[in-house]
Amino acid sequence: MTRPLDLIYAVDETPPRAILVISAVQHVAIMAITLIFPIIIAREAKLTGTAFLDLVSLSMLGLGVATVAFCVRSQFVGSGYLCPAAYTAIYLGPSLFALRQGGLSLVFGMTIVAGFVQVAVAPLLQRLRALLPSEIAGIVIAIVGLALAGLGIRYSLGITEQQHINPDYVLVAGVSLLTMIVLNIWSKSYGKMFCVLIGMLVGYAASAAIGIFDVSDILPNDGLSLFRVPRLAHVGFSFDMVLFAPFAVAALAATLRVMGDVSNAQRLNDVDWVRPKFSSLAGAVSANGIAVIFCGLVGSCGVNSYSSSIGLSGATGVTSRSVGYVIGIAFAVLAFLPPAAVVLAAMPLPVMGAALFFTAAFVLTSGLQMITARMLDARKNVVIGFSFAMAVAADIYQDALTAVPIALQPIFGNSLVLGTVSAVLLNLIMRIGVRQRVSMKLEPGEINREAVEQFLTEHGARWAARRDVMRRAIFGVVQVLEVVGNPPGGIEIEASFDEFNLDVRIRYAGAPVQIPDRKPTPREIVASEDGERLLAGYLLRQSAHRIQARGTAGAAELLLHYDH
Amino acid sequence: MNTSALTIGQTRAGDVCVVTLSGRIDSTNANEMMEQLTRLISSGEKSILVDFGAVLYLTSAAFRALLVATDEAERSAAKFVLCSVAGHVRELFEMGGLLEVFTIHNSRDEALKQLG
Repeated sequence: MTRPLDLIYAVDETPPRAILVISAVQHVAIMAITLIFPIIIAREAKLTGTAFLDLVSLSMLGLGVATVAFCVRSQFVGSGYLCPAAYTAIYLGPSLFALRQGGLSLVFGMTIVAGFVQVAVAPLLQRLRALLPSEIAGIVIAIVGLALAGLGIRYSLGITEQQHINPDYVLVAGVSLLTMIVLNIWSKSYGKMFCVLIGMLVGYAASAAIGIFDVSDILPNDGLSLFRVPRLAHVGFSFDMVLFAPFAVAALAATLRVMGDVSNAQRLNDVDWVRPKFSSLAGAVSANGIAVIFCGLVGSCGVNSYSSSIGLSGATGVTSRSVGYVIGIAFAVLAFLPPAAVVLAAMPLPVMGAALFFTAAFVLTSGLQMITARMLDARKNVVIGFSFAMAVAADIYQDALTAVPIALQPIFGNSLVLGTVSAVLLNLIMRIGVRQRVSMKLEPGEINREAVEQFLTEHGARWAARRDVMRRAIFGVVQVLEVVGNPPGGIEIEASFDEFNLDVRIRYAGAPVQIPDRKPTPREIVASEDGERLLAGYLLRQSAHRIQARGTAGAAELLLHYDH
Repeated sequence: MNTSALTIGQTRAGDVCVVTLSGRIDSTNANEMMEQLTRLISSGEKSILVDFGAVLYLTSAAFRALLVATDEAERSAAKFVLCSVAGHVRELFEMGGLLEVFTIHNSRDEALKQLG
């Protein structure tokens, strides 16, 4: 791991206390916006007074616990990177569906189930990576962006069931959104950094001025104390198998997003980053699952990692894991301060709408960037185009799609669920015949290493294989040719490639290449050519992700496997 | 012309003999490199700097040649250091657990400063 020069505080470094606190406050400010999602659930559930306040306070506690779980570095839980948490639109659709079917208890029960799905998926990530490529994560994030934008428009315009628009809402949302856009595009430093927060404050002020900022519904009848332990009176649990599919798909979508966010956090801390460290990704997905279970238990909705916070840590150069712990403590403290919950819980709908609509633009574009980060071929075009179209169709033809059997309604009735299911299934189908295979024969006495190098380089370029992986493979083959020498019958080299694997098989007549477990000492290497051969075997073992040498009846085969 | 074959250049920087390697080093040319380095040591050079900045890759045969030259330098009380070992080449040193076996400087300037 090589530390980037422009990083001010790397993941394992601890900044001075003042920088630690200010950095944490910045994250808290942008993370708090996502409390919109539990607030939406609370409003749709018609919670008022103390129960409403409790849900918001416990949701803040959930954010704190989730952030610490994401950041912690341990063998099974946590990414080990600064990876703050946030409530997400991913769980919003299934949660609103559950709310309509069985009330809050069903939302909380099914949220716990989703958490267990993530915990179960975490150890399988490495094996499932072929089924969950980055473009599917991109599709999920882009669809989330679209869903956020739709919700943002609904709240900004105050659209009622009769399809009427509320002019007051339009005014507040317009002022708030304009502030965010102006600060984000034409200001620098703090204005840009806090544009959403400032835009929301402007929206609060405009709402108060025209009389749509009303805290009376939220204020408890017995007044507002400065400190209060939130209660679990609104919490209950129920379960429904019909809702398993949408919550499981949401858990899968959240998993894809965590993978993208943690990969980004890893990359921020390592100039030499080429592929994600799966132990860290698995720890983050486990942490996400545990955090979702916790949120369900305390009566809130599902959490996820927060792409905006990862972006903020990259922009400021402060990626210290310690910042995550301070964020966790800050949210845990805020959960016991009811005035903080009141200010957030009374957030006027058009202010929410403006914030949602604004952030949707960034979520959507980051999804599109993830989709196009790798070269797109015909197979990927089908996966991306079709699943994106299915997601949009789920919204446009909502009424027609409700005619599907009840068991399929959670899938067809939600754009994110339908889009994700389509993407995963299409990706699975499109993997048929994806592996490409080439081979070359080196005749005895014509073992030309340059020809091998050229052969692998040309095919690597044709397959759009990563250069670093091809360099390792070329080294491996040249090293094997050096050890094998000039066997009778020549040498056959076969390379097969798919998006995630590069396998090179080298066949020749002779004894299998010796692959030692231990590193030979410099003395052994210098002493004889046997020592050099031991070093060759050791280098091959170290450079390939998997190596297998076998031989029968004078014929030997060496397999070099490289993860791609 | 083969652009990746090994070429060995030699210059002086004060008391230091700078050997510049470029291309790939494997069993077909490792002996040539070893002979040149041991010849320099036996000729009485007391500070030899080998610049790896233009090396594409090296195999076990090259590592053995470098280890032999290091031993030879030790016996002759000569300083034998490497510089500009970066990227994929550095990765190979690391894989073989050989980064600590040699004296390696980040750049030619840094190495010359140390040797001077």
